[in-house]
Amino acid sequence: MVELKHLSYNFGSHWALKDINLSVGKGEFLFLTGHSGAGKTTLLRLLYGALPVSRGRATVAGFDLHRLKRRYVPQLRRRVGVVFQDFKILPRRTVFDNVAMALEVRGMARSPLERRVRAIIRAMGLETKSYTQCERLSGGEQQRVAIARSMVSNPELILADEPTGNLDFGLTMHLMKIFKQFHTYGTSVIMATHSREVLEAVPEARVLHLENGRIHDLNKPDDTEDDIEEFE
Amino acid sequence: MIGQFFRLTGRGLGDILIHPWAHLLTLVAVAMVSLLAGFVLLGLHNVNMQLMKSRGEVQFQIYWKTDTDPKIIESQWEAVGSMDHLVDIKGFTPQDALLELADTLGEAGDFGWLKETNPLPFSALASFAVPPSSQQEGWAAGILTKLKSMPGVEKVNYSPLQEDLAHGWKLISKAVIWPVIGFLGLVVAMVVGNTMRLSLLTRNDEIEILALVGAKPWFIRWPLITGGMALGLTGSMAGLGLLKLAQNTLADILNIPPLFIHINFMPMEYCIALVGGITLVAIVSSWVAVR
Ligand SMILES: Nc1ncnc2c1ncn2[C@@H]1O[C@H](COP(=O)(O)OP(=O)(O)O)[C@@H](O)[C@H]1O
Ligand SMILES: [Mg+2]
Repeated sequence: MVELKHLSYNFGSHWALKDINLSVGKGEFLFLTGHSGAGKTTLLRLLYGALPVSRGRATVAGFDLHRLKRRYVPQLRRRVGVVFQDFKILPRRTVFDNVAMALEVRGMARSPLERRVRAIIRAMGLETKSYTQCERLSGGEQQRVAIARSMVSNPELILADEPTGNLDFGLTMHLMKIFKQFHTYGTSVIMATHSREVLEAVPEARVLHLENGRIHDLNKPDDTEDDIEEFE
Repeated sequence: MIGQFFRLTGRGLGDILIHPWAHLLTLVAVAMVSLLAGFVLLGLHNVNMQLMKSRGEVQFQIYWKTDTDPKIIESQWEAVGSMDHLVDIKGFTPQDALLELADTLGEAGDFGWLKETNPLPFSALASFAVPPSSQQEGWAAGILTKLKSMPGVEKVNYSPLQEDLAHGWKLISKAVIWPVIGFLGLVVAMVVGNTMRLSLLTRNDEIEILALVGAKPWFIRWPLITGGMALGLTGSMAGLGLLKLAQNTLADILNIPPLFIHINFMPMEYCIALVGGITLVAIVSSWVAVR
């Protein structure tokens, strides 16, 4: 599903990611942990084509990101769902319209689209709010709308960047249950978090620790200090 | 595909209502800019009209040879009198001319002794007013040639003052009008463009989110463009409507002695250029908003 080989990324002279090697299989659940500034967001942004891959190799859902032309980025995004800490939904539009957006961009016909949107809204427990403007929803409900939008197109991979960062403990657990549910249906999940509760909610998940842009394997002795100069 | 095209067009128009105030302000700004641009165009048009009108006014002083038969001269006065666009003809017999001359010189001049051997010729003063529509190249020279070619006519003087003024105006319009219109266009483009860009800031989130869920560029752009087009079109038409209203109210404000200027509305081409230009700017700036 995701194959990264010697992936590096720099903002000017600052290397946010250094020599990342990673393989995530179909249906896997992977946590990215690490302090703020460790490179979690940068890694996720590379994976959905928001940043260009120029150093190293990255394959996501069959797309070679190193060679991916700009005009094919929409195709990649249709295979990969994204969820953010700040939800990124449109507050002036209804729940239905926000979720339907992900299918409309593909030009899906109206009646199957409505069926699928209704089904996912029901699965999220939001059916009574279908036609409520999102700005009137609570934070937890808004994040469920965002998750519904990322899942409605049945993506092979979900990328979530601290999706529970703005929510309290109860809502966090509720959302993690939803993510686990989709995971058991076969969707791969890569989730950045620095919350212990979130990690503990999915005990079977793999955990990858990032530190200063490098993968820091907690089980191995520290051997990551080799030739940093190569990237500077 | 066609269904989606119409749905996106509809969305572009419907989306205006999602941020009604922002878009209303945009609309007002566009209307005001087109009103101001319209005032400048209206002013240019009317100045042009005034100059074109006086440009057609020209006077010819015709002198006949002294030995011409007065009968022939009288018939020629009539011939000139029936020429196109003539407004007035005054004929002077040698006696009239002498009286007038004596009149201007007053007491000092007693020309009684000249009565028998009057050396002054028959003459006539012909005033023409040629409307702009009939002012082909060389129209004044045409009249001049025609007058000169009449038998017995010795010479024709004409007052080229208005003609020169009009010629000067033509040069001015070449040198100044187009730069002024160009500058006006630039100002309008910048103000409308920036206003549109600001109103599209309210849609940045939407553009970002659509891109995140895999929308192709045209899917994002088309609703913005239709919305921009609608705003540009209604805004500039509203501005034009206000301009018409202002012109109706002010039309005869200068229509007093000695000006007698009636302010006319712009011709259709100006209106179309104004509305079309502003709408085009609105469309282009909506297009540019999505990189
Ligand atoms: N747009 C940017 N421009 C410059 N530096 C950036 C930018 N985004 C992130 N960084 C830097 O890259 C590093 C990794 O950031 P990020 O991936 O956001 O970390 P995390 O998500 O783990 O908190 C940080 O040092 C951050 O300052
Ligand atoms: Mg981050």
